[in-house]
Amino acid sequence: MNDRQQDSLDRLIANLPRDIVPPGNLWPRVAARLSIRPRHAPPMALAAAIALAAAGLASLFTWAVLQGPSVPRVIQTVAATTSFDEPRDPKYLLARDSVEKTFRDRLALLEPATRAKIETSLAVIQKAHEDIRKALAADPQSPVLEQLLQSTWHDEFDLYDRVVRATQPTMTRI
Amino acid sequence: MDSSTEPTDTIAAAAAGDVAAFECLYRQFSPRVYGLCLRLTGQREAAEDCTQESFVAAWRALSRFERRSRFSTWLHRIAVHCVLSRRKGLRFEYEVAEPALGLPDRADPGSGTPPLDVERAIAALPEGARHVLVLVGIYGYSHAEAAGALGIAEGTCKAQLHRARQLLTSTLGLEQP
Repeated sequence: MNDRQQDSLDRLIANLPRDIVPPGNLWPRVAARLSIRPRHAPPMALAAAIALAAAGLASLFTWAVLQGPSVPRVIQTVAATTSFDEPRDPKYLLARDSVEKTFRDRLALLEPATRAKIETSLAVIQKAHEDIRKALAADPQSPVLEQLLQSTWHDEFDLYDRVVRATQPTMTRI
Repeated sequence: MDSSTEPTDTIAAAAAGDVAAFECLYRQFSPRVYGLCLRLTGQREAAEDCTQESFVAAWRALSRFERRSRFSTWLHRIAVHCVLSRRKGLRFEYEVAEPALGLPDRADPGSGTPPLDVERAIAALPEGARHVLVLVGIYGYSHAEAAGALGIAEGTCKAQLHRARQLLTSTLGLEQP
C-alpha cells in the first residue's frame, strides 16, 4: 500500500461517523432491567443492619456474650440475601469501621499467637478483596470477579463470626 | 450532546443510584456505544442487545468506577466485552437491507465513495481484522488498548490492522492500476 492509497483510506475511515443513533429507543428496556435491582435499597438496608450490629457490639460486648454470635449472624444473613453491590454509603462505611473496631477489641482477648494468625488471615482476605476490586474496576463486566469479590466480602464477616465464637467463653470467664 | 464531554456531576449522581442521571448518561453516550457495537457485530439486533447489556452492566458497576480513565473509555470497554462475550454462535452478516442507521448519505463529499460502501467493506472483513480496524481505525484506540480489550497480543493487533487496510484498499478500489 503506498502513501496515496493510505491517505485515501485514512480519509474514508476518518469520515465515518462514530456515533450512530440506535434505530429504536432502547432506554425503556434498559430502565426496566435497572428497576429489577434497585441500587438504593440494598446498601441502605445493609447500612441499617450493620449500624444495628455496630451499636449492639460497640455498646457492651456483654450483650453478645449472653446472646452468642447472633450479631455477626445478622450481618451474614444480610450479606447472603442481598444482591451484591459493594456499598459506598458513608453511613455504611462508618458502621463497618465500628464493627471492625469491636472485632479488634475482642481479638485482643486472644493469645498473641492466635491473634497473629487471625490478623494474617484477615489481611489475606482484605488484600484479595482489594485486588479483586481493582480488577473489577478495569473489567467491570466480569461475573467471575464479581463472584470472587462477593466471596471475599463474605469471608471477612465469616472471620469476624469465628472470632466472636472463639472469644465468647473467654469473655464469659472474665 | 457531544459524547466526548465528561459530565462528572451526572456520573457521580448516577453512581449514587440516581436513575434519572443515568438516563442522561444513556442519552449522551448510547449513540457512540451503539455505533461501536454495530460495527463490531455487524448486526443491528445484536448491536441493540449489546448496547442494552452494556448500560445495564455499567449501572451495576458504576459505584466502582474510580475515574482512573474517562467514563466513555470505561463504558466502551464494557461494550467491547459484551460484544466479545456473545460473539460465539453468532453469524456476522452485515445487514445491507438496513443501511440508513443514522449514517449520512456520504462520508466525504469529495471522496466519491459513499460511506455505506465503506461500512459494507468493513463489515465484510474477517472478524479479527474488523474488530481491530473498528477499535483502532474508527474509535481511536491505541494498539495496546485494542489488544487488551480484544485479548490478543499487540503484535497481532498491528498485523490485523495492516491486513484490514490491505483488504479495504482492494475492496474499495483504491489500488492504483
